[in-house]
Amino acid sequence: MNSKMKSHTVEFTRKELLKLVAPPLVPVVLFALAMQAGERFGLLPAPRPALDVDRAILIHQAEASRARSDAEVVLLGDSSCLMNVNARQLGNSLGRRALNLATFSYLDLGTHARLLREFAQANPGHPGIVVLLMHPEALRRGGSEPYPLDVLTHYLAGEDHHRFGTFAGTVNALSGVDAFQGRVMSRALPTPLPFTNGFGRIYGFSTGLERFMTEHNGSAIDPGTNAAKGNAEYRLSATLENLSRDFRAAVPPGTKLLVGITPVPAKFAGRNYPALREQLLRDWNAWLQADAVLSELPATLPDEQLTGSTHLKPAAIPAYTEALAAALRTHVQ
Amino acid sequence: MLFNSGIFLQFFAAFLLLYWLARNNLTARNLLIVAASYLFYGWWNWKFLGLLFFSSAFDWAVGYGIARLQTARGRKALLLGSILVNLGILGFFKYYNFFVGSLTVLLEKLGVPFHTGTLNVILPVGISFYTFQSMSYAFDVYRGHIRPTRNFVSFLAFVSFFPHMVAGPIQRVSNLLPQFERSLVITRPMLEEGIWLMIWGMFKKVVIADSVAPLVEMVFHDEPPGAAAVALGTLAFGLQIYCDFSGYSDIARGTARVLGFDIMWNFDLPYITTTLREFWRRWHISLSTWLRDYLYISLGGNRRGPARACVNVFLTMLLGGLWHGAAWNFVLWGAWHGAGLVAERVFSMEHGTRNTPTPLRRFASWLATMFVVFYGWLLFRAGSWHQVAAMTKALANPSAPPWLGSFALSLAVFTAPLVAMEFWQFRAKNRLVPLTLAGWARALLQGALIVCIMIFWTREKAAFIYFQF
Repeated sequence: MNSKMKSHTVEFTRKELLKLVAPPLVPVVLFALAMQAGERFGLLPAPRPALDVDRAILIHQAEASRARSDAEVVLLGDSSCLMNVNARQLGNSLGRRALNLATFSYLDLGTHARLLREFAQANPGHPGIVVLLMHPEALRRGGSEPYPLDVLTHYLAGEDHHRFGTFAGTVNALSGVDAFQGRVMSRALPTPLPFTNGFGRIYGFSTGLERFMTEHNGSAIDPGTNAAKGNAEYRLSATLENLSRDFRAAVPPGTKLLVGITPVPAKFAGRNYPALREQLLRDWNAWLQADAVLSELPATLPDEQLTGSTHLKPAAIPAYTEALAAALRTHVQ
Repeated sequence: MLFNSGIFLQFFAAFLLLYWLARNNLTARNLLIVAASYLFYGWWNWKFLGLLFFSSAFDWAVGYGIARLQTARGRKALLLGSILVNLGILGFFKYYNFFVGSLTVLLEKLGVPFHTGTLNVILPVGISFYTFQSMSYAFDVYRGHIRPTRNFVSFLAFVSFFPHMVAGPIQRVSNLLPQFERSLVITRPMLEEGIWLMIWGMFKKVVIADSVAPLVEMVFHDEPPGAAAVALGTLAFGLQIYCDFSGYSDIARGTARVLGFDIMWNFDLPYITTTLREFWRRWHISLSTWLRDYLYISLGGNRRGPARACVNVFLTMLLGGLWHGAAWNFVLWGAWHGAGLVAERVFSMEHGTRNTPTPLRRFASWLATMFVVFYGWLLFRAGSWHQVAAMTKALANPSAPPWLGSFALSLAVFTAPLVAMEFWQFRAKNRLVPLTLAGWARALLQGALIVCIMIFWTREKAAFIYFQF
């Protein structure tokens, strides 16, 4: 082989190269323009990017908060409230319609208050009772995580959720990909949920999860079977004071606010936890000024009844829901 | 580095620039290819670059030695050395734990205590591909099919050439190696083909294969849903693995075409076949021809009578199955196809083949072939014996999960573009038929595919299935 030999020669001109590469980009630009125009002039359906488990839950709850409802009991809180209480069973037990608007622990009390305001605005005179249920681990969190908060905020504002902070996010925003995914694809094509955490096995698709939540008045179940792990450190975050006051302010006049802490695995939490839970409830309520504290609810449950440290397994939900109904009964009457 | 990642796009853009700068010097080009290919591979795990280099260097030296040695015995010894070293590398990294584990289970069942621990080794990506390619060089030199190269850099570039190194196509030495030793000409049709294949391959991987993957996961587990879901899930896996692997192969060929190289086609409409034999002429062509030329023929092929030919076919498929992965389900998959091919041979020997089969007969033949192929995919995808049994048993379970309708809809949506494209290619008898469109129509098609890729690009990146082999 001759090392002086040329590597390669090209038998096309620059103009020919440009003619090959540029024309396929024209439809890309036209698509981007069409999406931008559709977004700006309201030609596309409103954003509804229920494209994974978290966003499907957030959007379902946001829509439920704005829908007309005769619910007299509204549950709010983190995912332990979402997954541990069957709102339909609770309503049947109380003889009053109950609605679960709970979301996740990585949204703070201020965001839960936002959903309550939406509900109260859409349903004047309702609800009679607001039940706020949080997991003790959630009480030490400082505030909302930006991503889920942005998803919810943009959805409620009827805007696409763009992420301009990254190159890919900017391209998706400018090219119309965000608009297409959130407004068209999410409606046209059901999104399969991941099988690895069990959601795919129980619900199948995002539409299945939303259907389940609608049928259970906003409640869901966690299909996981994980053992509890992590740090059983329970305390109140300093930021919880203002957020609690904000939440209290969102409760409509004449509506009772009841507050409780959801159970943790007994062995995981340790023997001293029930006393600590009472202390947490007292201290928290000093800021929240709830009408009643649900101390009757179990502080702990056997470890085998929970998946992870926060969610009840499906078999344990009916008993816990009954315990909640019993605790609420006097307040409902 | 994955083709379907932003980092590859940046890598390839930078490579094209350097490739253009190296246009006047062949050695510089080959050195650039080696450096870029080692970077491409090392991006995954740089610690295995030494293994890649050793495998290449050893076979280059073996080829050189075979050509210089005068005695048949010495030449044979060198060839055996190459086979032992390459299969030794493969055996250690890929099969050691499998064989030790299987032996332990077998001996324990026979009541013989056996305690040899397994090793905590990582399987180097693409090891089956580059060892086979490197080993085939020693074979071809030994058989006198090619003359050995004196140029070490060319040989390193041939083995490590990044478009095909990690998951093939496994190139024939006689086809690819000479391209590293001569000046190449890049024409406009080559560019057109390259651009088209990269776009279509990316569409198949990003839009179809990666979207169908979660559907497959919903079905393939130890408690499978009913018959309809298992059947649709198996179809989904057949779609996923085809689009994943043929997508990769198209991108590989397209990338090589843009650089002026010609690497072989790896797929040719494999699901439009009416016999298993034809299926294997169209599916993973580079491996099936490699197995035919270096294993089946070495075993004696059909030179020793029909019965021995059947045994050779079965053994070749069995080992082809084991090549895919160190697990019994791959062996079972190979045996399934081997048995199917043998049955087909016996049937055609007894009944002969009609020159003009009726449409009904062709349809029945296609259906039977697809049954074998797709049940084979069930064996291939299942993670354990237990899963194979559970899923096979589920085929008799008439219940259906509530999400079956959404499943079928999703599968239909992602199957439609592939069926449309392949029907068009089949009718036109031309794999590059989109290039015959008028300029504006081709731009529209390519642009639409790019938009789809962008829409699905943001989803979680999934590695190509064949990277694990």
